[in-house]
Amino acid sequence: MKRSTLFRRPAVEPLDTGRTGDFGYLQPGEIYLDAACQSLRPQSVIDAVTEYYTSYNACGGRVKYAWGQKVDHAVADTRRAVLDLLGLSTKSHAVSFTLNTTYGLNLLLQQLPQGRFGRVVTSHIEHNSVFLPTITAARRLGVERLVLDRAVDGALLYEPAQLERAVVVVNATSNIDGRQLGNLTDLVRDTHARGGIVIVDAAQAMGHSRALLQKTEADAVCFSAHKMYGASLGVVVARHELLTSLELGFVGGGMVQDVREEDFDLVRGDPGALLEPGLQAWGEIIALGRAIDWLGSVRPGGLSPAEHIDALSTRLHAGLVGIPGLTLLNTAASPVISVYAPTQDSHRLAVFLSRSQVMVRSGYFCAHHYLKEQLGLPPLLRFSLGLHTTESDIDSATHALARLMKGLS
Amino acid sequence: MFCIAAFIVLIVMAAFSARYRRYVGTAWNCTVRRVTFRPCDTTFKQDIKDHLLAPIAVRRPGLVKPAGIGLEILAVLVIVTTIWSGYTVVKSGVNLYVYGTCNKQDSASCTLGAEACSIPEETPGFMASLAAFDVLGAFGNEFASLGETFAAIPARTQTWTAEDYLPANASYLTEDAANPVAVEVIDPGCTFCKALFANIEEAGFENNYNLTYIAYPIAGTEGYKFPNSLLVTQYLEALRLHPLPGAETPVDWQVLERIFTEKTDAGLPWQETINTMDADEVTTTLVEWLDEFGLTAAEVDAVVTEAASDSVTDIIAANKSLVEDDIHTLKIPTIIFDGRRHDGLVSVDNLR
Repeated sequence: MKRSTLFRRPAVEPLDTGRTGDFGYLQPGEIYLDAACQSLRPQSVIDAVTEYYTSYNACGGRVKYAWGQKVDHAVADTRRAVLDLLGLSTKSHAVSFTLNTTYGLNLLLQQLPQGRFGRVVTSHIEHNSVFLPTITAARRLGVERLVLDRAVDGALLYEPAQLERAVVVVNATSNIDGRQLGNLTDLVRDTHARGGIVIVDAAQAMGHSRALLQKTEADAVCFSAHKMYGASLGVVVARHELLTSLELGFVGGGMVQDVREEDFDLVRGDPGALLEPGLQAWGEIIALGRAIDWLGSVRPGGLSPAEHIDALSTRLHAGLVGIPGLTLLNTAASPVISVYAPTQDSHRLAVFLSRSQVMVRSGYFCAHHYLKEQLGLPPLLRFSLGLHTTESDIDSATHALARLMKGLS
Repeated sequence: MFCIAAFIVLIVMAAFSARYRRYVGTAWNCTVRRVTFRPCDTTFKQDIKDHLLAPIAVRRPGLVKPAGIGLEILAVLVIVTTIWSGYTVVKSGVNLYVYGTCNKQDSASCTLGAEACSIPEETPGFMASLAAFDVLGAFGNEFASLGETFAAIPARTQTWTAEDYLPANASYLTEDAANPVAVEVIDPGCTFCKALFANIEEAGFENNYNLTYIAYPIAGTEGYKFPNSLLVTQYLEALRLHPLPGAETPVDWQVLERIFTEKTDAGLPWQETINTMDADEVTTTLVEWLDEFGLTAAEVDAVVTEAASDSVTDIIAANKSLVEDDIHTLKIPTIIFDGRRHDGLVSVDNLR
């Protein structure tokens, strides 16, 4: 074996990672720990997209030929699968597809009816996808905006009176440290009791902590397929009442039944279409259906996805805690763990780790207000796990970071 | 500093590879902010540094800090050398335009200009001053020299009239009242003056111009560049003071013609031979030539005496001033004709 010199990249030795074959395309040594941004797609999802583009690449919802019919059936299956995943019914909820979570939240918040709501409520730890549209929504509605704290365990800290005619927009799982909105049920009940609505940002929850959202009474749940092993796609699951109450500003083909010179009729009996102006990402929608199927059947290492992720989270947390000079934001193990080293620049650490093929996120993760303004922290490093992650991935990453921290100090 | 250096390096690399072009715009924005004394508003500097240091960090994390310092030093060096290079290019270009040489210190070393014997600058160069630990002098002389060059630009664009630069007692190779005057600055020992003379003869230049010369012995580090040039010049000036009546070609020109075109009995060019003789041998040779060219013994004695006189010394000093202060040439030969000053060896075609 050749000696490793200073500038020669050492040969990567294949590791027996025990990785599920669904991610067989990962090259030896590649350690992807940014699933909170977007999860890696299992081969079956990639195949679904490829199959659509190569076998029945038709528009949905408007054509009579066979390819189009096949698309319509597959899209309908996906809508049903999404509702099934959340334990919801088509009688009360509809599924709309958009670009991403941010886009879905904006579609709802920027089209809320004027005069119905008295305030907009959110929390400090929100992602910009929530934090920013709540600012503009409050301005448009001409109401106050209340930014509340979250408990260490993720529960929203509120007084019931603060929810009077409120539009509450909060995340179910933090993209910073994975803390969860444990009092979601209470929050929804208290909000509804005072004439308000609750819109949940479930971008981080849908991948590994969907249990929180089962049979939720929230008025809308927005999430991204690309954070739950699907292709790039946004999803809005909303109550019919909320959808039909919107003052639509974004309109287009696919959501109208008839059009006249100065007016139009919206489609009837399909509230989900009210958020779907124009042509949709049919292949990506179909791939989401495949991702949901996969999530229901995958057994990494013989464990359920939740068990697998829990075990990995514990290992990652333990590995990071043991590195001197590192400060963890998390108080407990989570699939998303953020850290920083007071004496080292996180962006630099991310670049250095990248050289070892360890891919982690650096910066403020679109939570500038909370991390930068409120906590006054420097840019951070974030490790986030997915079902592609293995124990050896975690060990390699923590070892590489520990070595860097020791050498750089 | 680092982003400026990165911009310089990237602009060069982008010329050869599209891969680097995407970074040039970012580097430029950062550079503009730095040179206008504003903080760089991008992470460009950090990004570049981190990517450069990453291979070291993976193998020897402990070396990252010293390597980072090394990169900063390297960045300073890149900027300093780039600025210096740019300055040198501009200075050389202006020098080439004004003096016909990109190197004022040693004009013959510049291959971009015409071939010539250089007149060395008496002022020490930048590096020589630095080597002598004279930092102030190095910069002072450098900028004084640059100022002098820029001040001489108008002289380059002026119309040169040979009559304005005639030496005392000018003698002409040929004279025709209908022909304009041309004047050349020569050193009898300079091989390019010999070459110019050959080109003049081949071009028939003397048939179109009344050609005269200023004899200018080029100074060397000690004495003169060609050791016998002053002695020959003294005889040439003495011959001008005592012209031979009735001579078809002035005797001083006959002396020059022999030096530049003829060979000794041993087959060696006279110029080369004279350059290696001692002063007594040169004197003896010149006296023999004067006798051969038809001067009587008394006339030869008068010339020999005159050559050592104060009059000739004064004439040579005046000619030196004429060359250095009025003509401002750094190259020998220089010839003024056709409204221009031609520095260095002029080709036959240009003489026609």
